[in-house]
Amino acid sequence: MAIKFAGDFEVKRTPEEVHDFLIDPSKFAALLPDFQGLSVQDSTHFTVKVKVGISHIKGTAEVKMELADVERPKRAQYKGQGSVAGGNVSLIAAFDLSLLDGGTGTKVAWQGEAQIFGRLASVAGGLLEPLGKKQVQKLIDGLQAALR
Amino acid sequence: MIKKDGAKNWVGQALPRKEENRLLRGRGKFADDIKLREMLYLRFVRSPYAHAKIVSVDVSAAEALAGVVGTLTGAEIAAQTQPFIEIGPDPCSRIKDFPLAVSKVRYQGEPVVAIVAESPSLADDAAELVQVEYEALDPVVDAEAALTDKSVLHDEAGTNRVWNGVFEYGDVDKAFREAAYVVNIDRMHFHRFSSTPLENNVVIAQWNPKDERIYYECNNSFPSFAIQFLSAHLGVHIDRIRVETSDIGGSFGIKITSYPQMAVCALASKKAGGRPVKWVETRSEHITSSAHGNERTFRDTRVALDKNGVITALVSRHIDDCGAYPRYEPLGCVIWSQVFPGVYRFKNARIDFTQAVTNKCPVGPNRGYSRMQHLWFLERVIDICAHELRIPSDEIRLRNYIRPEEFPYTTPNGCVYDSGDYPRMLQVAKELIGWDDWKKRQAAARKEGRLIGIGIGTTLDSGTNNFGQSQIVNPGAPFSGNSQGANCKLDIYGEVVVSVGSCPQGQGHETTAAQVVADVLNIHPDRITVRTGFDTERNVHTGFSGTYASQFAVSGLSAVHGAAQKLRKEMSRLAAFLLESKEDDLEFGSGEQGPEIRTTSTGKSINYWGLANIVNVNSAVLPPELYELTLNCRYIWRAPFKVPDKQKKYGSLTLTYASQLHIAVIEIERDTFIPRILDYVAVDDCGTVINPPIVEGQVYGATAHGIGAALMENCVYDAVGNMLTSTFSDYTPITAMNMPKVKYAHIETPSPHSYSGAKGMGEGGAAPVHTISAALQDALFASGIMIDDSFNNADSLFRAMVAKEISQVEKLVKVERRA
Repeated sequence: MAIKFAGDFEVKRTPEEVHDFLIDPSKFAALLPDFQGLSVQDSTHFTVKVKVGISHIKGTAEVKMELADVERPKRAQYKGQGSVAGGNVSLIAAFDLSLLDGGTGTKVAWQGEAQIFGRLASVAGGLLEPLGKKQVQKLIDGLQAALR
Repeated sequence: MIKKDGAKNWVGQALPRKEENRLLRGRGKFADDIKLREMLYLRFVRSPYAHAKIVSVDVSAAEALAGVVGTLTGAEIAAQTQPFIEIGPDPCSRIKDFPLAVSKVRYQGEPVVAIVAESPSLADDAAELVQVEYEALDPVVDAEAALTDKSVLHDEAGTNRVWNGVFEYGDVDKAFREAAYVVNIDRMHFHRFSSTPLENNVVIAQWNPKDERIYYECNNSFPSFAIQFLSAHLGVHIDRIRVETSDIGGSFGIKITSYPQMAVCALASKKAGGRPVKWVETRSEHITSSAHGNERTFRDTRVALDKNGVITALVSRHIDDCGAYPRYEPLGCVIWSQVFPGVYRFKNARIDFTQAVTNKCPVGPNRGYSRMQHLWFLERVIDICAHELRIPSDEIRLRNYIRPEEFPYTTPNGCVYDSGDYPRMLQVAKELIGWDDWKKRQAAARKEGRLIGIGIGTTLDSGTNNFGQSQIVNPGAPFSGNSQGANCKLDIYGEVVVSVGSCPQGQGHETTAAQVVADVLNIHPDRITVRTGFDTERNVHTGFSGTYASQFAVSGLSAVHGAAQKLRKEMSRLAAFLLESKEDDLEFGSGEQGPEIRTTSTGKSINYWGLANIVNVNSAVLPPELYELTLNCRYIWRAPFKVPDKQKKYGSLTLTYASQLHIAVIEIERDTFIPRILDYVAVDDCGTVINPPIVEGQVYGATAHGIGAALMENCVYDAVGNMLTSTFSDYTPITAMNMPKVKYAHIETPSPHSYSGAKGMGEGGAAPVHTISAALQDALFASGIMIDDSFNNADSLFRAMVAKEISQVEKLVKVERRA
């Protein structure tokens, strides 16, 4: 089951500042909804724990993340894979940054796709897309607030 | 219960089921009721992925949990067992099928690890602690896409194509050259659904380390088949595997394929030092991972008809989806050909049949196995031709039906239909539903813009397989014919005890077997004890024993009849000696001291206790010439089959052909698109009826199952192989709440192929699936919509109608009209 999401927002920071924030797991990961913990393996690999719960399916998702594509200050792309409650998730999330006209800030265009496998998709498939989009929106709201 | 006035026999009487008293009072014994000392509980860790490599399996945390006795992985099992036997030839035979995934998972829900613990809850908790790392692979969820081999499930086979064969008979090309009409149908699809027994799969296994014997208590419905697979897989001599079944809460064929779980439970017991291990399947496991019915796509169908709408030839290409592992397949690649022309007379046909594996739950024999897909296809063909040529649906059937005077009828592929009268069934069904009246009401409703359709489904329930058909798919397969065993004895105190090799799941075998024996011995059926369930150690099973494929009334009861006849003969010889009479002067009946044998000339008699006493505990009375009498008579009935011609794919594949004809009146609500059944008729012909209420009950059951399949039950997968209908919220089997009132009637055309004239029945040929598709087609034809799928609910009908309105539907059917 695939959930796709995309959008953009503008902040008053420079592209370099935004980029540095996005590739810093200690800053970025903490914005994930229901964030539980983080362990950093190296400069491009880290593992986040987030709480997941839909109806009676509850648990902690452990997602291994990789900063797969970095081009400062234009682009940052994450790939992730994890498991939760009899299911697995793989995701790709990319941020493309561009300087706003007049150099007043940065436009952040974001897009991604999550593939859900297993019991979570089978039992709660109909709920996943709206829930996933809600969680992504929380992340984006958090990012906007942090980069204000 | 007494016989109806004038009735000679117990066979044919509406005898209440002997099982009822036990089952309706909650006194049945089911596998999950059994609790053994030191029993352990098994839980599977299942794959979330439809297709993935297993990178690593870590069971350390699970094994460290208090109360967990051990775990099993696929690698451990592969190291100590052989892959399961594959029935198919190369490339199918190269597939390595183990009961737990070894290096790859191939469907969502495939078992990867087994946990064994002191309680079911502990096993559940431990299962959550198992860490399996996967590397996702491209999933294949469509059989036609699978045939491109872009992503191959079984690397050792090198292809997803399991089997291919062309079934060609008559002169197809000539028939098409001479046709007045040729109807072309691009694509049709028979959907994937399953069965919903009240009782899920249950296995209790104990591998006894003292004698290296395996003891099973389970609800597998074809144990003699299961032990053949298990023996080869586990490397244990078949005589060291004992399987017992008790009461079984429904199977519908699906429980035939529980042998992989039986293997895991035995190996888990072995690892646990011989403690018994129980596995009880959850409902979600059953829906996602037990077995589904075969999904089939029909491509490039061409139908030749003469100027009267009589079909003269048919060509088509069929692609069958057997899920991730063939298991009981590719038998389904030939079993459909038991009913090659359905109920129709066409002689020329060419069907190119292919089966593919996909990343979905493996299929298993599901009520109407393989034939219902084909019969649905034929009924769709007949209705599409009827609509396109503007011939009424009843009329085109009458023009094409095999005629009553043509029976026994040999089909183009050599099957022999024993008896039938399809025009009479149609007549009875039309009278019962009020055909003419409904036609008038339909016409009036259509003027009001209402969508009402009237559909006919004529179908066959072929029973008692010739397993020689397996040689059509694999010339090296060591199976042919069919047989069934039974034992009939007088116990020491004169009780008549019957054992059979079947394992009934609600079909009333105890009752019908008693009726047969009662007629042979001329006693009341209550005087006869029929043992419940299956047990390899009763020694009444053959390699074909079990309950499946609509055959007990023929194979099972023929065996019972044969055993009872042998017992009667022995009792006659013994009584003639003891009464100083001749055998032809004896009569069987009941006297003041119960069942007895008496002489007609002198009136002297001896009761069953007296006979049994002499053979069992007072044998010095016997003269040497009667030493051979045991009053314990085993009989093996064999079906009179020959091995089919493998090259021509020709021969008798089934012994009896029960038939069903259903008519449905359905209205599709304009606002909600919900299809509602307004009226429904089911007419059945299973030859001589052994017990009318039992037959009627099975007709209702099969009708309910078929209506559910047509309108409510669909196994839906997403593009990556997640099964999206894994609970009763999404996979919605029919219940009494959804069941329409069914008007029932039957006719009897006795079979010349069984001793009693009975035909196997119970599967129902999925008649409602054909009938409902036909009725929906009738409702929607004027709107330009073709029913090309066997599953139709409000959502799919809405989509079809919206798509039509915005002109997105390509015309699926093209008609060539030749002068």
